[in-house]
Amino acid sequence: MNATVEGIEAHLAGLESVWEGGMREVYAYYRQLAAPAVALAAAMVETAMELQTTGGRPPDPPRLLIGDLCLARASRLLAETRDQRLQIGFARAVEHVASAAAGGPPSEPLRTQLVAAVGEPA
Amino acid sequence: MITARRLDVPTTNATEYVDITSRLQDEVTAARLLNGRLHLQSLHTTLGLSMGHARRRELFLLPTCTLLVESGRLVLGHRQSVFAVELDGPRRRQLALQLDGDFAPAAAPEGDRSDRDLVELELARQLLVDPAAVQVPMRRLVDAGGKRLRPLLSMLSARLGPRRDPLRAAALAAAIELIHHATLVHDDYVDEAATRRGRPTVAAQEGAHSAVAVGVYYFAKATRLIAELGNPDVTFTIADAVEAVCLSQMDDVRLRGSYPGDHAMYLRVIRGKTAALFTAACRAGAQLGDAPPDVVERVSRFGDLLGIAFQMADDLLDYSDSSGKPRGQDIRQRVVSLPLIYATEDERLGPRVRELLAGPVADEQVAEVQDLVVATGALERVGEEARGLVTAALRELDEIDLDGVRPALSDLARATVDRIL
Repeated sequence: MNATVEGIEAHLAGLESVWEGGMREVYAYYRQLAAPAVALAAAMVETAMELQTTGGRPPDPPRLLIGDLCLARASRLLAETRDQRLQIGFARAVEHVASAAAGGPPSEPLRTQLVAAVGEPA
Repeated sequence: MITARRLDVPTTNATEYVDITSRLQDEVTAARLLNGRLHLQSLHTTLGLSMGHARRRELFLLPTCTLLVESGRLVLGHRQSVFAVELDGPRRRQLALQLDGDFAPAAAPEGDRSDRDLVELELARQLLVDPAAVQVPMRRLVDAGGKRLRPLLSMLSARLGPRRDPLRAAALAAAIELIHHATLVHDDYVDEAATRRGRPTVAAQEGAHSAVAVGVYYFAKATRLIAELGNPDVTFTIADAVEAVCLSQMDDVRLRGSYPGDHAMYLRVIRGKTAALFTAACRAGAQLGDAPPDVVERVSRFGDLLGIAFQMADDLLDYSDSSGKPRGQDIRQRVVSLPLIYATEDERLGPRVRELLAGPVADEQVAEVQDLVVATGALERVGEEARGLVTAALRELDEIDLDGVRPALSDLARATVDRIL
């Protein structure tokens, strides 16, 4: 996926390293299901959770902050869509996964939840 | 009863008439003086006072001036104004101000009591339904106190339009406070802080994994609560602000290498790190209440200036034992802070401050830096600047109809810095 061709380059400022480090492929997956902005938001959420809540060791501060930026930018992208259903669906998915990571009830895989949110009829 | 204050009057020219009428009225309003007198005295031999026509400058200058106050308003003729007259500027000037007479009873501090109660109830209600793994650490942080400045600003701003709904306003306000707390949890993790508000941080008590997850959870939850309000402008305002906060956090960590920084760098960081959420709280509240566009813009600028003032005052806590966080932490963490920037500008002591900051900062160096900062007068300078910003913030509200909210907003604005200064 080429960010310039897709028209999403401006949204990747500060996130170039994670885009090159795998977010591009995640975006390509969601792009099959949704418009560029929504697919990018999904890729950012998935990348953030990968950076912050998976793996044996807690993230170092730069990794944590990049994850926070991914979540915040995804939130802004979804705000721009003005699609309340998507905003709520994505937020709930993150809540479930984060709660599980803190030792709360187990959660469905994030991707399953995001795909459901993207695919739910309006 | 008599109250006394100092009024900062910076001048920009060698000779200059500075109209201080609206600022004096702000002082009267903030003090809740109903009927009495405002006494003003110049503290400089080359700064006079004059009362006259807004366009025709008077040449008859006095060092003191007394104005009558009736029904909470200065008694002035239609075109009559009060001027501080600079004769040897530009300089940073001060006027001594005293108010005496009959004052209205003081309001509950930091906003209307019912607003605060609603915010607390909504926060408690939202935390109650969360899984214990995230709820317990967040409740500890929320229950430890906090001034609730952002949610109260949001509640008050939500009254500036025709669509008043206290429950929706409280939902927004609580969500904003949860975002603030989520950022604190991650801040403490990044800074490796052991305590906040005198209690263990989430990272210190529940561990690093939990701290990361709790911050993410409450960020997402707050985002959802705001989306559920169904106001796209509000959703965008908050999302935009949170992105600014995150970008600024990254900036802040990166800039620790160029410590102590300069004023421009400092402003850039705190505009994102702190002021963005103050601005968004005011803006989103006004948007939720369907306030007119000019009111939304004015109250946003009010929030921006107030947020900057708040951070400046907050910087001073690093030199105090009463803040609940360890004294000197900003110095140890090499956080860009205004007292340090001003101290390094001091001709005599600045070089030593720079020298100390360039090396490792153990307890001994922290103590010496703190002593030097105090000796340079940097703390007073920061305090003056913060107070000036609060005054400028209140001036943003002069031109708009606040429909009875002005006294509460004024109280809240002053409380942002008065708690420290």
